[in-house]
Amino acid sequence: MLAALAVVLTAVAPRAMARQEVFRRSPRAALLGWQAVSLAAVVSAVSAAPLAVHALALGGAGWAAWAAVPALAFSGLVLGRLLWSGHLVGTRLRAARREHRVLVDALGEAVDDEVRVLAHPTPTAYCLPGLRRRVVLTEGTLRALPGEELDAVLAHERAHLRARHDLVLEFFTVLHQSAPSRLQAPEALREVRLLVEVLADRAARRRTGPVPLARALVALAGASHPETALAATADVSATRTRMALLAEDDAPGWLAPVVYAFAAGVLAAPLALLGLALGSMGA
Amino acid sequence: MPTKTINKLGELERAVMDQVWALGESGEPSVSVRQVHEGLLRGRDLAYTTVMTVMGRLADAGLLVKERGSGRAYLYAAAGTREELTASSMLGQLQGLPSADRRAAMLHFLGDATAEEIADLKAALAEVEKRHGRSNGGRS
Repeated sequence: MLAALAVVLTAVAPRAMARQEVFRRSPRAALLGWQAVSLAAVVSAVSAAPLAVHALALGGAGWAAWAAVPALAFSGLVLGRLLWSGHLVGTRLRAARREHRVLVDALGEAVDDEVRVLAHPTPTAYCLPGLRRRVVLTEGTLRALPGEELDAVLAHERAHLRARHDLVLEFFTVLHQSAPSRLQAPEALREVRLLVEVLADRAARRRTGPVPLARALVALAGASHPETALAATADVSATRTRMALLAEDDAPGWLAPVVYAFAAGVLAAPLALLGLALGSMGA
Repeated sequence: MPTKTINKLGELERAVMDQVWALGESGEPSVSVRQVHEGLLRGRDLAYTTVMTVMGRLADAGLLVKERGSGRAYLYAAAGTREELTASSMLGQLQGLPSADRRAAMLHFLGDATAEEIADLKAALAEVEKRHGRSNGGRS
């Protein structure tokens, strides 16, 4: 049962959830739902094999004791893979950020402790998360955006930094990379990335209202440099989605509680199965 | 500790590069850590080793080029002008990292778009403006 749950939560649930576009209108609750699904998948995957063996042993199968070794080895493998992937992803990201921060600090103009402006005509805006965080703009960005639109972009980037959205993305990247490739759900990662952007858009919208933010999205998308354009159509359809969400009203009031309840239920499922299995063994 | 504060804000990286460029303009393309340190000392309390660490980091990032001097110490030269280095760092050519890692390390405001997609975005913008009133932005 737990094994089936692990597979469902890893491979099936993300695909189904990514299609529920209404979730995007309540991004905070939706992100929590995603985290619940992935945690539940981890719990199921790690505990399935040893529990199965334990049940067999209690059921009187004499050979079950021998199966305990591979079962524990399987759990160890799943756990080890997660930790190793976490270590690799974390180290790589932090090194990349550290090095890039040296670049922007050395080349950019410091507007304040956080914001750096690079002397370059291509408009762009991004942030480097971490303890010594930076928001990076270019002179091109300052030229392309009137005051209120610039405020919207800054509010968006600062929301990423304040809420440590990078850690959320890192968590999902690690899970994604440690899942077996046939069970990986790339739409899950894409959806989580989108939700993080929608959350930051919400913060910007609270500060400036939707119109300046929407204009900034168009202005920066239209001014990008051909050389830096990597096949990024997925990103653009995400931008289109963000625009559409800016036009929409807030999510209906019932949505967030429903998503929270779903999250709690999903997380409770493997724990309940675990409790049930252990309980039946005790009896 | 003043040096700590300066370093934390990343001001030192810029000050060191400015110093190396300035020395380059006055006819010394390759400079030692000591020369840079002496130039930066005016008006502040700064350890030699701090400057050495920062210059090492700048060399790792590809902004300075390290070369063996006549003595035991290394000499450093700027890898380009500020404009050149800014352009190459914008194109991601300075770091040896695969671009997927670089993209994951930062959170970009948005990705790049084709003309067709931009037209699509503009239509969506019109929708946002219509629903939330034009008065909001003040630009026609």
